Amino acid sequence: MKNVSKIIACYAADTSGVCSALYELGGMTVVHDASGCNSTYSTHDEPRWWDIKSNIYISALTELDAIMGNDEKLICDTVSAAKDKKPGFIAVCGSPMPMMTGVDFDAVAMEIESRSGVRTFPLHTNGTRSYIEGASEAFEAVVREYALPQERAKNGVNVLGLTPLDFPLGADRAVRDWLSENDFECVCTLAMGCTLEDIGKMASASVNLVVSSSGLAAARYLKEKYGIPFVCGVPFGLEFPYDLAGAMLRAIESGEDCYYSASHTPGNDLVIIGEGISATSLACAIEADRGVRSTVIAAQPIDEAMLGAGDVNITAEEDIERFLADRQPAAVIADPIYKYITPKGIKLIGIPHFAFSGRCYQKHMKNMINTDIKEILR
Amino acid sequence: MIKLALYGKGGIGKSTCTANLSAALASLGKRVIQIGCDPKADSTINLLHGEPVLPVMDYMRKFDEEPERIEQISKIGYGGVMCIETGGPTPGLGCAGRGIITTFNLLEQLELFERYKPDAVLYDVLGDVVCGGFAAPIREGYAAQVLIVTSGEKMALYAANNIYSAVKNFEDRSYAKVRGVILNRRNVENEEQKVRAFTEKAGIEITADIPRSADIIKYEDMGMTAVEGDPECEAARRFIDLAKTLISEDEKNE
Repeated sequence: MKNVSKIIACYAADTSGVCSALYELGGMTVVHDASGCNSTYSTHDEPRWWDIKSNIYISALTELDAIMGNDEKLICDTVSAAKDKKPGFIAVCGSPMPMMTGVDFDAVAMEIESRSGVRTFPLHTNGTRSYIEGASEAFEAVVREYALPQERAKNGVNVLGLTPLDFPLGADRAVRDWLSENDFECVCTLAMGCTLEDIGKMASASVNLVVSSSGLAAARYLKEKYGIPFVCGVPFGLEFPYDLAGAMLRAIESGEDCYYSASHTPGNDLVIIGEGISATSLACAIEADRGVRSTVIAAQPIDEAMLGAGDVNITAEEDIERFLADRQPAAVIADPIYKYITPKGIKLIGIPHFAFSGRCYQKHMKNMINTDIKEILR
Repeated sequence: MIKLALYGKGGIGKSTCTANLSAALASLGKRVIQIGCDPKADSTINLLHGEPVLPVMDYMRKFDEEPERIEQISKIGYGGVMCIETGGPTPGLGCAGRGIITTFNLLEQLELFERYKPDAVLYDVLGDVVCGGFAAPIREGYAAQVLIVTSGEKMALYAANNIYSAVKNFEDRSYAKVRGVILNRRNVENEEQKVRAFTEKAGIEITADIPRSADIIKYEDMGMTAVEGDPECEAARRFIDLAKTLISEDEKNE
């Protein structure tokens, strides 16, 4: 059966993507879902829960509310909580049950906004799609809402698509330091170490660095609205960050977008499985630092423009297993859980991916931004 | 663009009215899409000479995947009307309302309106507004107006009132508004008076008055609408008049 994971885990869902993307922005995220599910979005899929406060609510949807279409309870409870908490904004999103009963989140958001006076936007999650789709919609929504026209800053950069689902805690600091070393001015790191005020200034950037697929929709909006070009890539390793910085400077000059991490040379030495931009960036970093060539498997639905020649977008467990058996690479780089479908005789180098294995390997997650990856890949 | 949803009690003649109105709009040169929102999937059959289109839900059941092109789930009928049927799950199973929402999401993904650029979209919706799925056609971005089909029969008027109240409940949500009533006559006693009593109380109008007509039945037996079969017959002329009214209003709004 396609898309059923019999052995490996499944990736975090769209609802977790929304909660993660909006976590630090000072808003209130309300998930229309049964009581108890908050621990999935806010603890199992959220390492910041222990250190940073955030207003993430569950509507505690009951069977009877679902049957009766009792949107009024969701609306009243949200308005009441907003009066207490005074959030910067409210985001309402769904889960499988409201998907089945056809809750109209556009209309619900409209009613909450008119009763609370707080800007409210709907996010159309249903708990069955990828975290990338949820985070992507959330990022685009806040950027559409809060980015304001600004004077352009020379070498200003927005970093788009940062969430702990794809990056270890501290990744925002690492990318800021790297930007600073390369004489870029960091405007906004959407959305780790980021505020609504930072988002307001995003239009002052000269280039957007898209570090995960979750940031692409916001990048495309900023290109269309403010003419800011984007470059896709994560500055992993030692050599690749220099090349990436060069690509960003060229984009500022030309105004052209660039899927830079897709430029790695195809090869079967390694297969890297993961989120598209991170995985292709790692392929670039390994090629630049070690001269080893890789093929990437993007294991989530992805815009194929982000993939390099020979890379593939396959999401079903049995297809990934078959691909590895056919290719017979020397090693596979992926989350440690992939070892269970890695054919015998092929080495697995485990790099934990929080969106896939959650807290299981969290203590083994290491920053690879602007750093020597030799030890990590040993 | 004319964006209309037709609601009414089961068996009252919604599909007959919708198909004749689509045909009338098409005969006046308009580019029309008719979307049948009923698991029975028989809304557009009289625009297609009895050769039905493959409903969206049937496509998904058959191929176990979503269609990639509009052509896979549509057929062009009389006057160039694009015919689409949501269809539904196997009777007795699943959730028909959810099927309508899924179909609408899919049509949005396939950019139906952007690509086909219709002048009019008509939604023919099953029975009453029974759940969220059956309210989908009146949500923002779909139908802007609702026409309730009723006769002077008690139960038809009871259903019409329920539909009117349901739509009115959504006033704060930018949903469609009730435009009026299509009186589809069954020749019951004091029929017009009974329907007028309902419309006056609700503050809406009788937008069209369709006589009980043997022509409609005759042409339906031949797999076509009265508008196609004999545009000069009384029933067809009433639908053409309704189409002209809607076009003129739409032109004024634009």
